[in-house]
Amino acid sequence: MVWDNPAPAPEGAVLEYTKELEKFLAEIERRAFRMAQVALRDPDDALDVVQDAMLKLTRSYASRPGAQWRPLFYRILENGIRDLQRRRTVRNRIMAWLPGLKEDPDGETQDPLENVADAAPAIPERLMQAQAMQRLEESLRELPARQREAFMLRNFEGMDVAETASAMACSEGSVKTHYSRAVHALRDRLGEVW
Amino acid sequence: MSETNSEAFEVRSRALFQDSVDGLDMRIRSRLTQARSAALEAEQGRPWFLGRKIWTPAAGVTAAAMLGVSLWIGTPIGQQPTMADAQTNFEDLDLVAAADEGSGDALDMLQDDIEFYDFADKTANSGPSA
Repeated sequence: MVWDNPAPAPEGAVLEYTKELEKFLAEIERRAFRMAQVALRDPDDALDVVQDAMLKLTRSYASRPGAQWRPLFYRILENGIRDLQRRRTVRNRIMAWLPGLKEDPDGETQDPLENVADAAPAIPERLMQAQAMQRLEESLRELPARQREAFMLRNFEGMDVAETASAMACSEGSVKTHYSRAVHALRDRLGEVW
Repeated sequence: MSETNSEAFEVRSRALFQDSVDGLDMRIRSRLTQARSAALEAEQGRPWFLGRKIWTPAAGVTAAAMLGVSLWIGTPIGQQPTMADAQTNFEDLDLVAAADEGSGDALDMLQDDIEFYDFADKTANSGPSA
C-alpha cells in the first residue's frame, strides 16, 4: 500500500513530540497552578485540576501541532476549575441541609503549617507585594467567571486576543469585552492607590 | 479612568502575578514536576498508533475485508437463511481457516475447482428431482 503522506518513524515521532510536550508543560505549569489557585483558593484543588489538565492534554491532544497546546490546555484547565466549583456548590448545599456535618463556611480548613512563621525575615516591600497580590486575587474571585478567565489569560499568561478566544471558545470581540470589563471592575474594586 | 492608568494597572498586575509564580515553594514545585511526569508517562505508555491518524487507512482496509468476508459467506438476496445454510457456511470457513498457514491449499483448491463448485451450487439449488 502506498500512502500519499507517509508518517515519520513512530518511535522517533513520539519521542520528539513528547520532548516538546514536556518542555511546554514545564514552561506553563507554575503559572497554570497559580491561576487555578486564584480561582479555587485551595492549593491542593489547584494541583488536582492542573494535573488533570496535563493528563487530558497528553492523552487527547499530544499529536496536535504545538501552537495549539496552550489554548487547549487552558480550555481544559478552565473546564476543570468550573467543574470543581460546581461540585463545591452542590456539596455546600448538601452540607447546609445536614445538621452536624457543616464544613468550614468558607471551605478552607487552615493548615497548621501555614501559620508557622517563616524562618527568613519578611522584607517590608515583599510583604506589601504579597498583600497587593492577595487583594488582586480576592477581587478576581469576585468577577464573573468569563471576565476572570479573560483577564488571567490575557494579562497573566500573556496570550493575544486570538489565542485567548481559542482558549475560551468564543469570539475575539467577546474576549475584548470581557477583558475590558474585568480591568475596569478590578480597578474600581482596588482603587487608584493600589 | 485614563488609558495610561489602565496600562500601569495591567503592568503591575502582571508583575505581581509573576512574583507570586517565582515565589512558589518547593513542595508545590515538586508536586507539579511529579504531575508532569505522570502525564507524560501516561502518554508514553499508550500504543503509538492511538495518538496518530495513520490508523485511518488500516481501518478502511479492515472494513473492506469484513465486507468481503460477509459477502463471501452471506446468503443470496431473496433467499431466507436456514440453520443448514449457516452450518454449511461455517464449515466452509473452517476449511479455509484450517489450512496450514502459508501453504495456501484451501485457496488453491477453491480457485482450481471453481467450475466444479459452480456445478455443485447449481445442482444444490435445483432441489430434489423427485
